[in-house]
Amino acid sequence: MTGIQVRGLTKRFGPVAAVTDLSFDVTPGTVTGFLGPNGAGKTTTMRMLLGLVTPTSGTATIGGRRYADLPRPTATVGALLDGSGFHPAHTALDHLRVYARMGGYDAGRVERVAEETGVSAFARRITRELSTGMRQRLNLATALLGDPRVLLLDEPGNGLDPEGIAWLRGFLRERAARGCAVLVSSHQLAEVEQVADRVVVIQQGRLVATATTAELAGARSVLVRSPRTDLLRTCLPAEGGEVEEAGSGALRVHGLTTEQVATAAAAHGVPLYEITPERPTLEKAFLHLTKESR
Amino acid sequence: MIALIAAEWRRLTTTRLWLWGLLAALGSGALTGLLALVGPENFTPPMPGLHTPEGVTALLGLLGFTAFVPALLGTAAVAGEYRHGTVSTTALFAPRRWTWLVAKLAAYTAGGLGYGAVATAVAAVGLFGAAALNGVELGLPAGVVSALLARIAATMAVYTLLGVAMGALLRNQVTALVVVGAYLYLAETLLMLIPGVKELYPFLPGGATSALTGFTQLADAIAEQTGGAAVALLSAPAGGLVLLGYALVASAIAVLVPLRRDIT
Repeated sequence: MTGIQVRGLTKRFGPVAAVTDLSFDVTPGTVTGFLGPNGAGKTTTMRMLLGLVTPTSGTATIGGRRYADLPRPTATVGALLDGSGFHPAHTALDHLRVYARMGGYDAGRVERVAEETGVSAFARRITRELSTGMRQRLNLATALLGDPRVLLLDEPGNGLDPEGIAWLRGFLRERAARGCAVLVSSHQLAEVEQVADRVVVIQQGRLVATATTAELAGARSVLVRSPRTDLLRTCLPAEGGEVEEAGSGALRVHGLTTEQVATAAAAHGVPLYEITPERPTLEKAFLHLTKESR
Repeated sequence: MIALIAAEWRRLTTTRLWLWGLLAALGSGALTGLLALVGPENFTPPMPGLHTPEGVTALLGLLGFTAFVPALLGTAAVAGEYRHGTVSTTALFAPRRWTWLVAKLAAYTAGGLGYGAVATAVAAVGLFGAAALNGVELGLPAGVVSALLARIAATMAVYTLLGVAMGALLRNQVTALVVVGAYLYLAETLLMLIPGVKELYPFLPGGATSALTGFTQLADAIAEQTGGAAVALLSAPAGGLVLLGYALVASAIAVLVPLRRDIT
């Protein structure tokens, strides 16, 4: 079983500290969301894991080895990097074939990954003409050539349509179920929330929090609209909810699910005009997580 | 390593660059043939005719002068990896970076030799054909002409290697092309105008190339215009060694420098 270990990882670009003393693990069989606003150091961390960027100090290893020391790196780790491109005159198939040659994978493998990622549908088109979503799929196909046990995906949702995102989620879950260690970065909580078992949150290159997705759910809230907010204000805290005003005739409830809110309202005969689960923004989740860790 | 070289060869042959290379090789060879057909004695100003050794070496020297074209193609190919953002993927598939650079150097040296072979073969056909058509006997024996052509083909391979190395070092495709093109085409000739620096000319890539191809007219012309004595070029083998030295140094730097650089 091959996992990812990051220990005391630090990278400075001149005077700028991109990543500072970062430590976390990704265990096999799980999907870990790697969250942080743009510029938080996610990409630099991933590039250090892949040996593209040399750490100033600390280690980033895969199965206990540095990427460059892996016997067949692309058969162990599949990486999808933000900003990696293609030769504009190559067809999607040319691109896959060049890298299959480099990695020592046969034509059958090229066909399989093209099939699996949906690249077959545009395999003979030149890469210059591909949409962002197609490019993401081609990058993913390239990453899968070696049938890797570890996946590192930097903002994989970029440019994918809703259908593509749903497909990607299913794909990552299935890989994790087969024992892969998956690290997915994103600047949007909603994007990884549904697929990740755990999240690692960084800001300005430092670890803010690690949490399970269940713990993160504590940051959710429910918006209720009712003509009897006065009644709700007394009955919901009794169920363990925390209530705040959200405009006229509306309340925002923390700490309860929509089911719990609806049940409590029904028990007290309170009519509800609206009940909406609210996903926290990344910033709110940060606040919640940092409050929890204090 | 075989797999990496095969991959680089595939990369080269699946883009249109090889086609441009082929066209340029055919073109430069054909141009030499055309000039031979016109006859150097009909140039303005007139040059020694094909029946003189000078006339033949002048034409071959001009062909040797087009060696900057495969150099530029090599530069474009390697710097293109940075321009198109494929370098990260390449580095992931071959994390020991010297391996893919060596693979590139090997693949493109083969490409450069192919270029040289095509260009010189076409030039040979043109040269011998023009001589036969005009009823002139070439000023040099066929064996010497063939040997000179082979040296030019080798020069083109070495120049390709130089171009690849410069592309790997400079990374920015446009900058790399401008630097390589401007140096080979312009800067070196200008350097010769500086007294003193001129003495170094035999050891510069252009001077070494002239020694290898036996083309001394440029050095002579500059000596004439600056009023000094012509710079003595190295012997052909020494020129070849100097040129190879440049290519090896450039390749070594190209292999060593990226090892330390972050790919962001």
